[in-house]
Amino acid sequence: MNILETHDVCKVYGDRKVLDDISVSVPEGTVYGLLGPNGAGKTTLIRIINHITAPDSGTVLFNGRQLTQDDVAHIGYLPEERGLYKKMKVGDQAVFFARLKGLSKQEATRQLHDWFDKFDIAAWWDRKVEELSKGMAQKVQFIVTVLHKPSLLIFDEPFSGFDPINANLLRDEIIKLKNDGATVIFSTHNMASVEEICDNITLINGGRNILTGNVQRLRREYADGRFKLVFDQSTDLRAVMEQLQPMANCFNTSTDKRDRNVLALKLTNGATLHDLIDKANSLGSLRGFEEVEASMNDIFINAVGAAQNNQMI
Amino acid sequence: MSTTGIIIGREYGERVKKKSFIITTLLMPILMLALMAVPAMIALWGSQTGKNIYVVDHSGVVGSRLVSDEDYTFTLTSLTPDSASNTENVDGVLIIPAGIIERDAPVEYLTDEATSISLESALTSRVADIVEQERMAAYPDLDVEKIISSVHADISMKTFRTDKDNEQGSSGLSYILGLVLTMMLYMCLLLYGQMVMTGIIEEKNNRVLEIVVSSVKPSRLMLGKIAGIGLVAVTQIAIWAVLITVISAFVIPAILPQSIANEVSMFNSGNLDPTQATIDTDLLQALGMLGDTGYLINLFAMLLAFLILGFLFYSSIFAAIGSAVDNIQDASQLQTFAVMPIILGIMFSMSAIADPTSSLSVWMSMIPFTSPMVMMARIPFGIDPWQIAASLAILLISTVAMIWLAAKIYRVGIFMYGKKPTWKELIKWTRYK
Repeated sequence: MNILETHDVCKVYGDRKVLDDISVSVPEGTVYGLLGPNGAGKTTLIRIINHITAPDSGTVLFNGRQLTQDDVAHIGYLPEERGLYKKMKVGDQAVFFARLKGLSKQEATRQLHDWFDKFDIAAWWDRKVEELSKGMAQKVQFIVTVLHKPSLLIFDEPFSGFDPINANLLRDEIIKLKNDGATVIFSTHNMASVEEICDNITLINGGRNILTGNVQRLRREYADGRFKLVFDQSTDLRAVMEQLQPMANCFNTSTDKRDRNVLALKLTNGATLHDLIDKANSLGSLRGFEEVEASMNDIFINAVGAAQNNQMI
Repeated sequence: MSTTGIIIGREYGERVKKKSFIITTLLMPILMLALMAVPAMIALWGSQTGKNIYVVDHSGVVGSRLVSDEDYTFTLTSLTPDSASNTENVDGVLIIPAGIIERDAPVEYLTDEATSISLESALTSRVADIVEQERMAAYPDLDVEKIISSVHADISMKTFRTDKDNEQGSSGLSYILGLVLTMMLYMCLLLYGQMVMTGIIEEKNNRVLEIVVSSVKPSRLMLGKIAGIGLVAVTQIAIWAVLITVISAFVIPAILPQSIANEVSMFNSGNLDPTQATIDTDLLQALGMLGDTGYLINLFAMLLAFLILGFLFYSSIFAAIGSAVDNIQDASQLQTFAVMPIILGIMFSMSAIADPTSSLSVWMSMIPFTSPMVMMARIPFGIDPWQIAASLAILLISTVAMIWLAAKIYRVGIFMYGKKPTWKELIKWTRYK
């Protein structure tokens, strides 16, 4: 069951086509990544899903029905530019938003204090938002977004402005939300986080959907003949590299947790995996072998690069 | 509580808790009463320092007959005009030409400061009086002194409204009251209207709107904001009304000298002969009216009615403007559409104060853009209740229409960033559910 579907959504600003036939399907209970270079149209798509702006053509379905203003109440939205009143006290503000979402004042206050403790910002309850750092304001915004437990959560660039520790905190919370049954859509430039938490992604470039699919499948598809060979400690990797040169380009050497030597390489054209393993086995004591999945970073750069080349031609 | 209620609560609470609001609310009436009281106090107890004028008299007659009083001190001098004007503590030198009795000739006045029309007319009329008396003295058969003292007349006017139980009223006081009420309305419409506008621009800028509209319909959000800020205005006016009423009912009688208090109460009961009054009758009337609590409450009720409707009307225009722009700088141009009618309103109020029953004043107190201010300027003069009712009714209907229109514009405007919406988009949005 898809909680959200867009069909052929188009949006034109002036003479610029910001979204061009975008169709995405977000299965319920999954984490969906919206990727794309700056200005690709991610935020516009998110705004359309949030009913903030209307598409020029195309439809948005929520739980299989046409999306209406009332459905938006079931969506928690974290905008990229943080939406808080600067002059208002943090606690009052969080309670205000929570009450708008239908919580009673007492209930909101109680739950918010729990969240503030969890995110280590309890001391800021009575401070004004303008006194907060960007990261702290973002924590407040995140709490406000998820507090009323909406079934669909949309985060626009949730990781920007967070240090690695807080980014981890946020990532864990997103995974927890998913485990609690919520569906999460988020846009990001942080590819590591996509690998860690996304089930599916759509990559948008210049308003077009250039890549869509399951993250694990895409990473294997784009693996592109990269492998890792694991040798025991005694093996001289440099000698192995020289011998393997005709059939594979080695691009990285390292040691794993058990101090074994690891060689990362890419098959050259014409060479077969069978020959490579044969040869490697004869050169040293081969302990392990695995195909290296492509990183989302590589997939992003390849796909966007290819799309842009096509445009130039 | 409904979402609109929560919005109103936030708008109201955040503003009323501000220090600046508390301070201006408490200080304003004190400041207003002080501004009204200070000139009266000075007139009552202050020793006026008049102008010190040296007189160089070539006629030999006029100078010696100029009588000094509290406003002007005349000193005959034999100095030359230039050296006289350089003498210390001399404000000006009046030069009276020879032969002024026989033939009209201009007097000259040397001074190193700006002169006013009142100074010029005071000096020329005094000199003219003396010249006229001298000329009459040329007819020896007439006892000039006796004639002048017996023909001198000092007429004041008591006005009675035949349509209002012969209630006594003075247009002088109504003039001041009309002015004060109009100014209060003007201030509130402009200040609080702009508060609505900047509030919306702020929400638009910091993207609060994008979150809030997920739980509140945009039209309700706009109404909530207007209502919240409107309540702040009402709170402020109500506090002012209470403070002014209390001060005028209890504090003024307490600090007023007994003799004047007696005159005021005599005046109010109609037993005072104006020629016997020791102070200006308009001032007496003002003091009398300030002590009339019922009259003040009635006036404030009218003010409140026009304030609420006028505010709703203008703040929806301000809201539409705020939603259509990205920042305050852009807004300053567009808000001319709201500010101009308000300024026109205050201008027509001035003419309404001068002539409250002219057809211009009547019409302008009916047209919704100017009616709150112009009607408020006319009310102290005592006008037909049906006119007030008609004006309120027209204002109410136009306010509802304006809110409806503003809500449509607001819905589209708040989510337009960077580019101006086209008419096609505006129409499309009004249909988008």
